[in-house]
Amino acid sequence: MGEFEPKIIGFLCNWCSYAGADLAGVSRIQYPSNIRIVRVMCSGRIDPTIPLEVFMRGADGILVLGCHPGDCHYVEGNLYEERKIKMLKMLIALTGLEPERLRLEWVSASEGQRFAQVVTEFTEQIRNIGPSPLSGEKPNQKIFENLQAARNVASEFRLRVLVGRERELTEKSNVYEEKVSQEEFDSLLGEIVEAEFIRHKIYLLTKTKPLSVKALAEAVEMKPADVLRKIVNMRRKNMIALDHVEGTTPLYKALEVK
Amino acid sequence: MSNAVLVIGGGIAGIQASLDLANRGTKVYLVEELPSIGGRMAQLDKTFPTMDCSICILAPKMIECFRHPNISLLTYSEVTEVKRDAGNFTVKILKKPRYVDVEKCTGCGTCMEKCPAKVPNEFDIGLGSRKAIYMPFKQAVPLIATIDPEHCLYFTKNVCRVCQKLCPSNAVNFEQKPEEIVVNVSSIILATGFDLFNPSIMSEYGYSRYKNTLLSMELERLISASGPTGGHLVRPSDGKEPKRIVFVQCVGSRSQRGELPYCSSVCCVYATKESILIKEHLPDIEVYILYLDLRAIGKGFQEFVDRAKKEYGVKYIKAHPGGITEDPITKNLQIYYEDIPTGEMKKFTADMVVLCPALIPKQDNKKIAQVMDLELDEYGFFKSKNELTAPVDTNVPGIYICGYCQGPKDIPESIAQASGAAARAAERIMCVTREAGS
Amino acid sequence: MNESKEIHVGVFVCHCGVNIGGVVDVPEVVEYAKTLPNVKYAEGSLYTCSSEGLSKIKEAIKKYQLNRVVVASCTPRTHEPLFRSACEEAGLNKYLFHMANIREHCSWVHPKEPKKATEKAKEMVRMAVAKASLLEPQAEPEIDVLPSALVIGGGVAGMTAALSLANQKFTVHLVEKESELGGKLRELYKLYPSDHYASEILEEFLQAVRSNANIIVYTSSTVKHSEGFIGNFKVTINHEGKEETLDVGTIIVATGADVLKPQGMYCYGQSKNIVTQLELEQLMKEKKLERPKNVVMIQCVGAREGKEGGRNYCSRICCTVAVKNALQIKELFPETEVSIVYRDMQTYGKDFEEQYNKAREGFTQFIRYDVENPPEVFIRPNGKLIVRVHDILIDGTLELDSDLVVLSTPLIQREDAKELSKILKVPLGSDGFFFEAHVKLRPVDFATDGIFVCGTAHSPKTIAESVAQAYAAASRAGIPMTLGRVRTEAITAFINEDSCTGCGTCINLCPYNAIQKDERGVAKVNDVLCKGCGVCAASCPEKAINMRHFSDAQVLAEATAALGET
Repeated sequence: MGEFEPKIIGFLCNWCSYAGADLAGVSRIQYPSNIRIVRVMCSGRIDPTIPLEVFMRGADGILVLGCHPGDCHYVEGNLYEERKIKMLKMLIALTGLEPERLRLEWVSASEGQRFAQVVTEFTEQIRNIGPSPLSGEKPNQKIFENLQAARNVASEFRLRVLVGRERELTEKSNVYEEKVSQEEFDSLLGEIVEAEFIRHKIYLLTKTKPLSVKALAEAVEMKPADVLRKIVNMRRKNMIALDHVEGTTPLYKALEVK
Repeated sequence: MSNAVLVIGGGIAGIQASLDLANRGTKVYLVEELPSIGGRMAQLDKTFPTMDCSICILAPKMIECFRHPNISLLTYSEVTEVKRDAGNFTVKILKKPRYVDVEKCTGCGTCMEKCPAKVPNEFDIGLGSRKAIYMPFKQAVPLIATIDPEHCLYFTKNVCRVCQKLCPSNAVNFEQKPEEIVVNVSSIILATGFDLFNPSIMSEYGYSRYKNTLLSMELERLISASGPTGGHLVRPSDGKEPKRIVFVQCVGSRSQRGELPYCSSVCCVYATKESILIKEHLPDIEVYILYLDLRAIGKGFQEFVDRAKKEYGVKYIKAHPGGITEDPITKNLQIYYEDIPTGEMKKFTADMVVLCPALIPKQDNKKIAQVMDLELDEYGFFKSKNELTAPVDTNVPGIYICGYCQGPKDIPESIAQASGAAARAAERIMCVTREAGS
Repeated sequence: MNESKEIHVGVFVCHCGVNIGGVVDVPEVVEYAKTLPNVKYAEGSLYTCSSEGLSKIKEAIKKYQLNRVVVASCTPRTHEPLFRSACEEAGLNKYLFHMANIREHCSWVHPKEPKKATEKAKEMVRMAVAKASLLEPQAEPEIDVLPSALVIGGGVAGMTAALSLANQKFTVHLVEKESELGGKLRELYKLYPSDHYASEILEEFLQAVRSNANIIVYTSSTVKHSEGFIGNFKVTINHEGKEETLDVGTIIVATGADVLKPQGMYCYGQSKNIVTQLELEQLMKEKKLERPKNVVMIQCVGAREGKEGGRNYCSRICCTVAVKNALQIKELFPETEVSIVYRDMQTYGKDFEEQYNKAREGFTQFIRYDVENPPEVFIRPNGKLIVRVHDILIDGTLELDSDLVVLSTPLIQREDAKELSKILKVPLGSDGFFFEAHVKLRPVDFATDGIFVCGTAHSPKTIAESVAQAYAAASRAGIPMTLGRVRTEAITAFINEDSCTGCGTCINLCPYNAIQKDERGVAKVNDVLCKGCGVCAASCPEKAINMRHFSDAQVLAEATAALGET
């Protein structure tokens, strides 16, 4: 069979981490050969949909490497990315894929040794976690569908505008000197991530065929009571509608939200 | 003031000065006596402390010089006369005949394959060979063949001419004559570089008598992938891989005995570099460096030496070298030295010895100094107008110096001085040059 | 130029001598490249960056109608411009070129696993081809360059750079933190090798700077804030308490260095007779040096420590300074005994070696120690000092009586440099000094276009070396300012106006204020101000923003190509 060799995709920023990787090369520091590096100008370029797509294709691990805070060539791109990755991990946790498969680290242009260390540690960690459920001959269909839903969540307005404004809300106060605390924000973010995820799951599931609460509960692996509560909320916000009734069972279908 | 500058010397310093000036719109004449630019850096395998492949980082700059619309590249040429002319210089440049038409030659190399005359290759310090019609190295710029009339069978014995018969572009022209051109420039920048002191006169080291005693530059050519052995480190006497190599520092340098009292500044670190390269080629080999003071003085150099010690196991011995003798059968070498920490005389067998010789200014500097009325110091380096405040100026306004020909220094310093000389030349073109240092 | 819509990719795989070819099976990678979608031609080269290698690319572009080129060799950070130029010369837009870094990221880091390295190289080529196939031609905006420079630091390096730039007919803003120009020159005594007083040299520089109409001097001033890019930097300085904004085309960092005060080492601070070399110079300058009988200088105090996290560099000038000062003391007080306790005598080059010989002939004692066995300093109850050292030249321990111990300490980066590095967004190296674009080939450039460095801010060096570097920085800064225009990268954001809802998220995020709403309330990107970070594209709630040359599709294509045949 042979030992499992993880497939790691690394997104490295041109000014810091890519240069650090170059320095590791110049210094001939060795590390496992599993990583495949994609150069971007700034770690902030990594749209949340990108790691999701990459996981959907079967990557075992994804590393996003940027400059240390304060050193970003584009001022604060790395700090924006930090928020996105945090949101992504919340989202990934809902899909059944291990969120540890996604890691954000800071590596500077003069840290060749550190680059090699991070890559070595991460590769080992992923080796221990095991192959991605989406890789190999029989990818896990359920997790795949969950990731599709997650990708749709991450492409849509609601979550993006919230994450886009996170720093503004938590770091700057408004005219009334009010600021949202990080805990409050994270809690709100968690709720919205979950709600959006369920909605998109339900949407994907009911795209062609309306489904009952029971069927939905099985599909999203939640208790029927919790699903019903979600549906009630979604109805209130015009995200889902009653399609028709079969016998005594109502069947619901998600609505396009604009 | 003429908007043109003459740069003499096509090594990294000359190249940098030319590019800085050309990139700001100044016309540059870059004169190089050899058939190709590149200088010493082209002969190196890797450069310290980054271990960049030397030709890899040099070649793009060489090509930029070649293609730059503002640079007239005059290789295989010499400056014969310099006349001052109201602030400008009128310079006569002699283009030596290559006996190959530069417009027609495509650098295909067919001529070299068939030429019957073999000559020791200067680029490989005689360790490899070339033909009488040759290109000095694979990445030569310009990539054009040159005929060496001293070894060409046609010129010496009036026979052969195979190259002319075979050249697909009809580029060989034995009738070619030297061409003189005259240029008018506001500044001249000298970047003539250095030569290696030949330690044959120091009989105690046996250089040129002992086959396995090499100069450091010869070692560079041996370990270089484009060198005479394709990068295989083997002993010249029997082609076997060496098991123990000893570097002897300061050969001819820092000597009170009448050779050269100054320190060549780069040898401690390049010996470290070569030791690391040797270890990368042959991990089990033992490498020793016999040194007086370990001058790892530049940015990142001490860390580089620490790495050589810790990660590669290069052994550094504080020693006054005594002499070297050769075993006539094995061609191994016995090195005698005074071990400084213990004061004892020790001896040591190695199968290869690398001598790090003094780096000396080119002999031609004397001729150039005469032609241009420049001052040389007692070793033959060009003299700075003021060593502190005007390092790249000379006693002649408008003539600037940079790189090793001004004094011992490494590549980043040569490049900095070259850009510095370019700044001075640029200032002069603006016609408001104050006297430097005042 | 291939006018058809069909993508023709050419792949050029480099051996780089043995750097790549010695580990990666280049012919195998070439053969593999030929099997990839859209690849019409592939070949290997010994040195792709040689003129021969570049000619082969240009010929192949013409012969095989290539409209995308991939070079698998070293890092794009050094060679991308060269290969792009070659493509341009063959009529191909330079943005239709991509690189796979199979050297720094492959052969150099997996030298013991040639099979894995070869597989990795093949995948890297596949990734590069996948992205290249989606690349589009781009046009580069041109920007004007202001013919004015900011020089930060008014020491010998800053003043030299300012004078050179002023003579090149540029306006120079010379900003100095202290109330007077001069830097360390104001504290030094006599210089070597010219034997001038530092104050004389300083006076010459001050006169030249004062009399040059192109130099505007701001003393008691510091840099507070900087924004912009090459040709158009907007720098805010605090000038004697007031804020002023300077518009400049280029910036030169010449902030110098400090001398380490070795607290806790060799009893420094416990006796007024234990001083640094700089403090010794000040004593000599102010004529406060009481005739010492025995001076002992200790080299490598706090330098060349050779340990993890230690100060491991050699400060280059301390041995020369010690010898110079030893000779000075001997000149002032011929009867005084001077000993220099050293590890290696770093008197390099011509003049310094000569000075060392002179000192030895003039009876300065040189005592050599090993880092394993450093000297110790003791203070007697009566205040006299003893230096105990194991002299390796005689293999014995000496106890030297001393009334003045001089500690040769290294130059270190200034505290305020850390702040400056963040303001300008330029890096510091692991030794604390400013980190240049390339240690060998670009010693005075920062990776950021338009900002340069010189003098001891870069690394310890002599005055002559600082002056040479300062001229170099002035030459480099002079290039864009002379040309008056530079082309900027085409890697910029573009907004799909139909999708933009005017939410303003991008406008808030952009660090360069490069996005504004137009009269319809739709966001628009200023191509010149945009630096191409991509944060707006990654954040836009409507996904209305994409990046030229780094679109979602292109980045994804490169990433997913690593995961299997596409």
